[in-house]
Amino acid sequence: MAEDLVLDTAIRDWVLIPLSVVMVLIGVLRYFVSKLMRSSQTPDVKIVKEGQVIVRARNLRAGANFIPPKSFRSRRVYFSNEENGLLHVPKGQAQNAQAAMFSDPNMAMDMMKKNLSMIIPQTLTFAWVNFFFSGFVAAKIPFPLTQRFRSMLQNGIDLSSVDVSYVSSRSWYFLNLFGLRGLFSLILGEENAMDDTQRMMQMGGFGFDPTKSLSAEKDSLDIVQHEWALPKFEHRAEAVLRKLVS
Amino acid sequence: MAGRSDSGSSEKKSSEATNDVPTFSAENLQSNMKIIYYSRTFMSIIGGVVAGILGFTGLTGFIFYFLVMAITSVGLIAKAKFSVNSYFDSWNRILLDGFMGGLMSFVLFWTFAYDIVHIF
Repeated sequence: MAEDLVLDTAIRDWVLIPLSVVMVLIGVLRYFVSKLMRSSQTPDVKIVKEGQVIVRARNLRAGANFIPPKSFRSRRVYFSNEENGLLHVPKGQAQNAQAAMFSDPNMAMDMMKKNLSMIIPQTLTFAWVNFFFSGFVAAKIPFPLTQRFRSMLQNGIDLSSVDVSYVSSRSWYFLNLFGLRGLFSLILGEENAMDDTQRMMQMGGFGFDPTKSLSAEKDSLDIVQHEWALPKFEHRAEAVLRKLVS
Repeated sequence: MAGRSDSGSSEKKSSEATNDVPTFSAENLQSNMKIIYYSRTFMSIIGGVVAGILGFTGLTGFIFYFLVMAITSVGLIAKAKFSVNSYFDSWNRILLDGFMGGLMSFVLFWTFAYDIVHIF
C-alpha cells in the first residue's frame, strides 16, 4: 500500500486501548449484574417430576445393554405402557400444560430481564462510543479485504479513498463485540458462554412443551434394540486376567 | 502448553478396541470437550497476540493460525497419551472442534497487537 496513513500515537493511547479495555470491563460487569438479577424461582413440582422421569428413561436407554433382557423389558413397560406408564401422556393434558406455561407471568418476566441485561449495556456502550470516538481511524487489520467490507469496517468514515483495511472506531467496537466472546469464556468461566446459548434456546423455545419431550423419549425407548452385553464382558475380563497372569 | 488443562475430571473411559459395545460416560465426554474448547480459545488468543507482535500480515497470519491449531491438536493428543479413542468418540473432536470459534478471537487479538506495535 503506497497510501499508508500515518496515525497519531495519541489515537492508540486514547482511543484504541481505552475502547478495548472498556469493552472487556463492561462484559465483566454485565456478567455480574445478570448474575445478581437472576431470580431463583421455585420450580414447579410437576415440571421437575417430568424432567426427572425423562432423565431416568434416558439412563435406561443408555445402559440398556448392561441389564438382562427380562429386566430391560420390565423397565421399559414400566416407563412406556399405554395405561399408566410414566412416559405416557393422557390426551387432554397436553394442551392444558402449554396454556399454563404461556400464562405464567414469571417466565416472561425472567426472559425480559435477561434480554434487557443484554440490550441495555450494548446500546449504552454504543452511544458512548459514538459520542466520544466517532470518526477516528482507530486500527488497521493486518490482512487485505475487498471493497465489500467497507461498510462493515469503516462505519462512520465517509471516505472512499481510504484503504479498506483501515478500521474506524465504531467498527472496532463491533469487532470487539464479536471477538471478545472467547476471552469472556476464558476469564468468566464456561457459564458465560453457556448462558448465551441458553438464552438463544429459551428465545427459540418459548412455547416449550414438556409433554412433547416425554412422548419423544417414549418413542426412542420403544425402538431400542436390546442386546445383553455382559456375557461378552466375562470373556473380556477373562482375557485381561489371563494376560495379567501369564 | 495447550494440553495442560486436560486432566482432573477426564477419567479414562472403559472403552477398548476389543470392545464392540461403545461405553462412554456422557459427562466425562462433555468435560473433555469443554477442555478442548477452552484450550483452543486460549491458544487462539495467545497466538493472535504473538502473530500481532511478530508483525505477520495477510496470508502469513492465517497460516500461523493453522500452525497454532495444529500444535494445539498435537498437544491435546499427547496429553491423551496418544490413545484418542479412549477419551473421545472420534478423531474429528480433537482435530477440528472449536477451530472456527477461535478464529474470531484470533483475528481480534492479532489486529489489536499488530496495531499497537506496528501501525502507530
